[in-house]
Amino acid sequence: MRRGSNLRSTGVTLSLLLPGLVCFFGLFFYPMMVTVVRSLRPEGSDTGWTLVNYISFLSTTKARSVIVLTFMLSLSATLLSILFSVALALILRKKLGGHRFFRLTMLIPRVVPGLIGALGLLLLFGSRGWFNLLVMGVFPFVEKPIQINYTVPGLILFYTWLYFPFTALTTLSALESLDPGIEEAADVAGANKWHVLRYVILPLIMPGILAGSVLTFMAAFGAFSIPLIAGGNYRPLSVEIYKQIDLTPARWSAASARAMIMAMLQVIFLTIYMRILRRRSR
Amino acid sequence: MNLLRIYVKSILRGRKVLIYTFLLCFGLIIYVPFIMIMLRSVGKNWFGRLWLPPELTLDWYRWAVEVTKIFRITANTLIIAVIAVAISTLIGIPTGWAFGRRKIPGKELLMAMILLPRMIPPIAYALGIAQVFYRLHLVNTHFGVALAHVAICAPYAILVLSATIEGLDERVLEASAVCGANRFKTFFHVILPLILPGILTSIIFTFTASYNEFTLTLMTYGKDTVTLPVRTYLAIGEGYWEVTSAMSIILVIPSIFVLFMIQRQVTPEKLVGGFKGV
Repeated sequence: MRRGSNLRSTGVTLSLLLPGLVCFFGLFFYPMMVTVVRSLRPEGSDTGWTLVNYISFLSTTKARSVIVLTFMLSLSATLLSILFSVALALILRKKLGGHRFFRLTMLIPRVVPGLIGALGLLLLFGSRGWFNLLVMGVFPFVEKPIQINYTVPGLILFYTWLYFPFTALTTLSALESLDPGIEEAADVAGANKWHVLRYVILPLIMPGILAGSVLTFMAAFGAFSIPLIAGGNYRPLSVEIYKQIDLTPARWSAASARAMIMAMLQVIFLTIYMRILRRRSR
Repeated sequence: MNLLRIYVKSILRGRKVLIYTFLLCFGLIIYVPFIMIMLRSVGKNWFGRLWLPPELTLDWYRWAVEVTKIFRITANTLIIAVIAVAISTLIGIPTGWAFGRRKIPGKELLMAMILLPRMIPPIAYALGIAQVFYRLHLVNTHFGVALAHVAICAPYAILVLSATIEGLDERVLEASAVCGANRFKTFFHVILPLILPGILTSIIFTFTASYNEFTLTLMTYGKDTVTLPVRTYLAIGEGYWEVTSAMSIILVIPSIFVLFMIQRQVTPEKLVGGFKGV
């Protein structure tokens, strides 16, 4: 009897879980497997196994520069986001006038489609955009517009604009759940503000920064729409994958091999990143 | 490092001017891109070093409506979003229930697995989805594109709904059972009203995700299922920046409107976070 009801309960749990599992396996796991198999097939054929798609990509010098570019872009954007988010969170914590408005402002880059954000940034930083007009107006020695669009620093800036909210939000919420007594104690103990920040606040909010910056890093690593329209000649992995199937005839096997390399790199980088930051925060 | 130190120090000393300058710059860099798009979409003959367009026009909007058939595209986008939201919610309620209230061995691991589609770059499995959908003839149908969106939307729904359902009070359910309500009645008259706010939150989040989704749409769309983000991308490729700007304004206004509308009801922060400490 007992066993029967246990079995029944397991059955109910499983049937409740079923829709989620079907969705996961049908829309994620199976397509992933299709990609794996496709990457091991010769181009355009449904039989035979080969590693040539991986080797032909990885043996080029371009592969290394693409991977380095992807990694560098996402890491710089993450670091920039952390710096910016900590400053922003320290300010917003004080609940100055209009802090609600700035809290919502912080979310804007994540609510609007990435394409639109990139379009706006391209217009703003273009040679006729307001940024260059301002710079040329304020500094008389700048005669030519500064080239920001379609350069690596420009891309880093765009990435940061689009993905900093992850870091900013978790940093802010970590900062707000901090016990004010701890700071007061440090203050009473005679630490100056810089020391309080450096040795008390920062270590305590490190887990929050870590969680958010991982999200920023992952989003920046997988970024697709921004480099697609704002990357110019710089193609990170995601665009490189898309370009393979944008060709006629589409090179599905080559694209799949690159996608697998990207997914594996993502997992490896994440593991290393988490490990480094965990050690730091300890 | 020293510069940064001085910078932080001066901020901490409570120099209001510096703080407000920082906030002003922050506000500017977030909003000015949209102002640029707005100006570009109504400007005419805007060349050279001019701060504002010399002539105003609504021609680009007319173009957007006539040439790019924006109403049909908006309809496509909305139909796809509604299908995706419906499927995701239907997946999210039972699965959320299982995660929120049933004992599952290895729950954390299973949840991490369900959330995996949000960790792996979408382009990686979008390739597989495209190939599978080609074989099943789902490409270029509204249902097919919506189904591809579910891959991204369903994890959102499950996450939000499981948190809501976990917060249900056990005693209410017991009271309902004691009063003689059967399971069916309990679900529709007690549970559903209680988790309605959670369902609404989940609907808003999945809708936004589907409305803005680009990668998965790009891999599965056809000429009958062009959505707004894809059309914007195509227009940028064609080089019509003014028309693109006009379309972007049409695309972006609902998003910002929704954000300011929902900010009191749901904490929009969840839209971005959503993970409990990764």
